[in-house]
Parts: sequence; C-alpha cells; structure tokens
Amino acid sequence: MAGADVVAPKAPKGKGGKKHKKRVSVFIDMTPMVDIMMLLITFFMLTTVFNTPQTMEINLPPDSDVKVEVAETSLLTIRATADGSIYVNMGMETPQRIQFNELRPLLVDRSKSNPKLVCLIKVERTGTYELMVNIMDELNLANITRFSIAPFKEIDGQLVAQAI
Amino acid sequence: MQHKKGRSNIKIDMTPMVDIMMLLLTFFMLTTRFKPPSEAEVLLPSSHSQFKLPESDVMTITVTKDDRYFLGLDSQTLRGRLFGEEYALKSGIELENKQMLADLLIQARIANPKLRTVIKADKEAPFGPIEDVMNILQKVKITRFNLVTELEKI
Repeated sequence: MAGADVVAPKAPKGKGGKKHKKRVSVFIDMTPMVDIMMLLITFFMLTTVFNTPQTMEINLPPDSDVKVEVAETSLLTIRATADGSIYVNMGMETPQRIQFNELRPLLVDRSKSNPKLVCLIKVERTGTYELMVNIMDELNLANITRFSIAPFKEIDGQLVAQAI
Repeated sequence: MQHKKGRSNIKIDMTPMVDIMMLLLTFFMLTTRFKPPSEAEVLLPSSHSQFKLPESDVMTITVTKDDRYFLGLDSQTLRGRLFGEEYALKSGIELENKQMLADLLIQARIANPKLRTVIKADKEAPFGPIEDVMNILQKVKITRFNLVTELEKI
C-alpha cells in the first residue's frame, strides 16, 4: 500500500523556556550487594522444602481382643510374600497368584458385587514395607476403606505354596 | 618498556539483575520452611494419598532399612523433658528396644495429649519391624496413626 507519510506538525513546546539542570551521574558499585544476595538466595533455595510429605491414615480397632465375625464368603484375603508376589483368595478357596496391576480391577469388581466385602492383608514379615503400602494404596483407590492387617502365619505360607 | 594494552572499559548495568534477584530472595524468604532435621535417611514409599502431614505436634517413629528405630518429637522442650536435656537439640533418639518405645510413647502422650503419631519407614525395610511397631501402638492405645508417604508421580 502506498501511502504518503504525513509529517505531523511538531508539538508546540511547553510554555516557558526549558530549564537545564545539571545532573551529576552517580554510579554505585553494586557488586558486593549482588554477592551477598546471591549467597542468600542459594541458602534459601537449598534449605527450602516445597513438597510436604503425604500421609496415609490408619485407624486400628481399640482392642485387639475383639473378635469380628465375618461371613466366609465375603472375606477377601490378600497375601504378600517376601519375593513380592501377591496371592488373593475369597473365603476358603485356594489362593490365586496375581500380578500387582491386576489387583485394583479385581478389588473394584469384588467390592461392587459384594458391598460387605472385608479385606484382610497379610504380609510376610520379610516382605518389604513398600509392598504393604502399595497394597493399602490400591485398596484406598478401590474405595475400600475398611480392611484389616493380620500377621502372616505358617499356615499362610503353606496355603501360598499350594497356590495356582 | 611499557606495554600498553588497549583496555576498553566495560560497564554492565546490573540493576535489572539485582531487581530479579531481590524478587527471588523475597520469594524464598517468605515461602521457606526449613527442612526438619531427621535422624536417619529414609526413602519414603509412594502412595496416592492426599492427606498432608500435620506441621506441629508430631511424634515420628522412624524405621530404617537396617532395622534401627528412632523416636523424634518436633518440640524442643518436650524432647528435653522426655529424652533428657542432652537430647533437646537433637531431633530424636535411637531406641534400643521395643519396651523403651512403648514407655516413651506413653510418657509423650501424657506430656502432650495432642501429639499425632506418624510412622516413617524406609520402603526397603522389611515389614516385620513395622508390624511390631503397629502392635506396640495398639498396645499403648494409640489407635490412630499415619504412615508417611510421598505423592506418587504419574
């Protein structure tokens, strides 16, 4: 597009003459200040904590002697052994070995079909703590908030040995 | 003999940099909360739990993977009272046996009933010691406690 440039008329100068002040240019050496600030920044950056750890809350029954009667058919036992394998069984069935990522769909499925489902976690004493936390996490994600933790006894080891 | 180097005098205006650094500094100074000192290095397991660790009135039972136990309290005065003055400045003490843990837990609960119990265990730790700790907690009637985890990265 061709356009002629119109030269704008110069803005009229302000009334009165311009006052020329003599300015003294001041240079402040900021290097020491920058040094100190760098130090402070690094200090705060290194000592600060951004992510507060998360926690899982557990409520234990007040007395361990209380016996809770549970129907055999709605009891889901999850056994975890030292080598990290997980075995699941309902009631008195023989335990079935499953992979960790199969656990959640199974839990969701079972709790949907039986709302009164009670979960029992048995982790072998030599098994890792992480495994137990992961299983609890899966239960929480499957919206099963009531479960119990029971000691892994010898009989559990025998049952797991017969597992499919 | 005179060497004359042509040195050009360079002046860098540092004002913008200083501005930015001031901003960063104030940001970090205002948001900082110092890392709580811990007795032992512990690798936390991860979970999807969204529950945050409370900031005060916490009693931490640390279990390391080589089977050592520590009890930590976040208040210095309480530490001094419970563990003896020489431990007041440390974050916690190592426990030699499980009976000691039970006794200290009871005393701590008497001293400050608002204390929340937290188990901080290494993810590599065997489950056995943690089971023992949970049994002790149940025995001293601490039925509500938390397990410290890290948010799982997706």
